[in-house]
Amino acid sequence: MQNAKDTFYTALRDRLATVNPARTIVVRGVTRPGVLVEENELVSGVTPADAFRLRWTGLKVDVAGPLPLATLTCEIHYATDGDAESGGMDRDRLLAAMDAELSSALTAAPQTAAKMSYSSTAAPAALATNIFWGDPTFGPTTITGERTERVATVEVFCYQEAGER
Amino acid sequence: MSGLVEAVAPVTRRVRAYFAPVDRAANAPVLFDAAQAGSFALDAAPAPWIDLGWCSAFARTSATKVEPLRTGAPAVAQTQVRTEIEATVSLRFESWGKLQMALAAGSQQMNLLATATGATANGSGGTASVATPLLAGSTATSLNVGAATASFNVGDLVAVDVDYTGQLGFVGSGISGAYVASAAAVNGDANYVRRISLNVTRIVGIAGTALQLGAPLPAGIPSSQMQVSRLAGFVDREGGGWFQEWSALFVMDGEQGDRVIYHYPRLQSMAGAAESAETLSGPLERLRLAGAFRALPVKDANDGESVLCFRSYLPAAMRAI
Repeated sequence: MQNAKDTFYTALRDRLATVNPARTIVVRGVTRPGVLVEENELVSGVTPADAFRLRWTGLKVDVAGPLPLATLTCEIHYATDGDAESGGMDRDRLLAAMDAELSSALTAAPQTAAKMSYSSTAAPAALATNIFWGDPTFGPTTITGERTERVATVEVFCYQEAGER
Repeated sequence: MSGLVEAVAPVTRRVRAYFAPVDRAANAPVLFDAAQAGSFALDAAPAPWIDLGWCSAFARTSATKVEPLRTGAPAVAQTQVRTEIEATVSLRFESWGKLQMALAAGSQQMNLLATATGATANGSGGTASVATPLLAGSTATSLNVGAATASFNVGDLVAVDVDYTGQLGFVGSGISGAYVASAAAVNGDANYVRRISLNVTRIVGIAGTALQLGAPLPAGIPSSQMQVSRLAGFVDREGGGWFQEWSALFVMDGEQGDRVIYHYPRLQSMAGAAESAETLSGPLERLRLAGAFRALPVKDANDGESVLCFRSYLPAAMRAI
């Protein structure tokens, strides 16, 4: 499943960077597109704003077919405090912009990507199948103090290839 | 087996529909050759296929009957025969375009031509106002009407077709829109062809003497005999003697790069105009055009068999078969 998770992250990262190149995040001193996978980062008590955070939750595996079909649930968390210059009064507008960016990135055709293996330090290797995903489901806006946030959920599907771990 | 991936059942999410008009006068459908063009890009269908976009609730039904042929006492099934061959298709369109409405109408899909002053009210539109002749230099995307541009506005819908001058049989340029049994049946109405024509478009700009069109006319470059009539919208009727007939192509792309193609060379409407309501929230409902079609046969040139539908499957690369 790790190859599918990595592939989905890189596909989403590249699409989000195309939709809004200005959305970036600094992680361990490196400026990157504004999306990260929580389980790949150091545990921190600080929740970054104005970036997308991927959290893998559910997993189902259908073994009825010739290749096991895995369904992974990915929660995409994002939040904003608004722009400091606006005193945060634009926080809903900025959240709406993030909604639009995420929707655009996830629903643009094709909603598939060739599965890649990033398991070695060498260049990523293409595997034999595609991952694919459904349309996102957007949860309600939640407000915590001056922060407004949302969780979108998307199901990612992949076939477990022979020898793949 | 080395290097091959196990073949899995296709996983698809939507169906893309393409239609092409059957030449009714010649009784000639448009045949799609999946061996030659099966891998076309969905946004660039090969001519003359018209992209009608995504559709939902796509359902194929085979009503072909296979009966046993029994002999002896007691009777034992010795062989089987096909006693009937029949197939139907139903679907819902995602948009209300002219062609989608025509396909879902069951019968004639008419244009509500702008009426003449004082025209008597009529359900499918009263007597139409005088049409505007086309001048030389018109193209499929630009209509030269000379000084008559003053009669049009950006945003107008227009029908572009020939005058009715007593033609009998199938009428409508590019796509047959009706069958005229006698001039008397259509009151010799000079605007009748434009009334049933599917050669319609919208004006998106006016430059000099030319009306710029938002999309190419389905019938291509207009002839010098064609004229332009403004229209308010479209109308279809429950009833009428006309059957729409189209060649159809339904494409389902698999998530692994495979593709399923259903090709019906001849589909005729088999239901009246209908919609299905989809509740959005509270009182809001989205109306989708519902179409139902019966497949008619063609002869397969390879073996002379009479068939209703061709289902093609293009496997993804390096899959076991």
